[in-house]
Amino acid sequence: MNAKLPVQAVPLCVASDLGEGEARGFLPDEDGQDRLFVLRHDGELHAWRNACPHVDGAPMAWRRHAYLSPDRQHVMCHAHGARFEPDTGLCVHGPCLGQALQRVPLTIDGEGQLWLARTEQTQPIE
Amino acid sequence: MNITGIETLVFGVEDLAACRQYLLDYGLEPAAGQPHRLVALDGTGVELFAATDASLPPAPKGCQLRKCVMGVADAATLDAIEAELARDREVLRLPDGSLQSVDDAGFAIGFQLSRRQPLYLLGEVSNAPGSPLQRVANQLGVQAGRGRIQPRSLSHLVYFVPDVAKAEAFYVNRLGFRVTDRFDGVGPFMQPAGSLEHHSHFLIGAPAFMQGVEHFTFHFGGPTEVIQNGNRFIEAGYQAFWGPGRHVFGSNWFWYFNSPFGCHVEMDADMDLHDNTWRPRVAKISADASQAFLLRRRDKWMPGPGTPDNGDYAA
Repeated sequence: MNAKLPVQAVPLCVASDLGEGEARGFLPDEDGQDRLFVLRHDGELHAWRNACPHVDGAPMAWRRHAYLSPDRQHVMCHAHGARFEPDTGLCVHGPCLGQALQRVPLTIDGEGQLWLARTEQTQPIE
Repeated sequence: MNITGIETLVFGVEDLAACRQYLLDYGLEPAAGQPHRLVALDGTGVELFAATDASLPPAPKGCQLRKCVMGVADAATLDAIEAELARDREVLRLPDGSLQSVDDAGFAIGFQLSRRQPLYLLGEVSNAPGSPLQRVANQLGVQAGRGRIQPRSLSHLVYFVPDVAKAEAFYVNRLGFRVTDRFDGVGPFMQPAGSLEHHSHFLIGAPAFMQGVEHFTFHFGGPTEVIQNGNRFIEAGYQAFWGPGRHVFGSNWFWYFNSPFGCHVEMDADMDLHDNTWRPRVAKISADASQAFLLRRRDKWMPGPGTPDNGDYAA
């Protein structure tokens, strides 16, 4: 999934809408696949590109927003079953063992709105 | 060995409800009187159990596929398989009369007198000018309001194996499979002796920690069914991985989806048939060697209200 991320800041959702152990995809491309997903783990929000490192940019969910393992302890790629630490993005099981997901920078404004941050890091992976 | 094809895939899964709903939305139907089983039109299918179910055989590396059950043509074949495999491994006769053992990669395999129901259903027919086989007048090629589309038959299974030569030798030398084609440095497409289909099994060489299943798939009635059903699957929220397109080896139409089974699940149609006069091809794997073409979906396709000044194809 190599669809570009927008370079400008983009509102995603109200940060408190994402509960512990929940994940949600955002900014679907024209094939209906999210460019990124956000999850809450140990209270913190983390955002990752929807792009498994085992195949260049492979989409990871099996259904919209379904990015976590059944026990909700790992991010999971539902192409070949790779599992990742939700807070570091490190692959701990599966075909891309030792590689990592690409982090997407987030900001939360004074009203609790979660944003895709505008930074150099939001350049496309290509 | 008159093995006729794969008839049941047995999975042990973490999220039973999600996996069941996925297969129902894919098009399989619950089997009468068998609550664990979901089936295609010819009765072949998938059985779902909890990963912790002690009755399931073990699988390598936490693979959710716990057994692949193949059909055989007659009791003599079943006896021959039992005698052949019992030379160097345990072979169980289960209460239902089927055999259970293990292949040389460590995957559990089963064999049963074929329970595949014969189908007498015309496939997709195209009105090609000059063709003697055409749809009759007023029979439509596309039924817009068509109900659920049920796949016809369990098609094939793709394993990741750490030692391709060893895994291939087991199926070829011990079970009488034929290699139909091969991706150089990757692995063989194989058909059992009792089937003409291009492949029931494809093996992919991979690091040992990846051992498992790449995908499984059912045959649909034609490319229109694959694409119509795949579109509905996407509209229901499922996530496509590759397709729709058409393969070169096997010529089958394909559309691959991510799944809660830890592998891909494909919808396929119109696979080539080969007999034992066929000479296997060998190709380097690449996008061009794998797909004759790849289609893309577009939600908007004609200008109309809301069309931007620079057109619908503008980025």
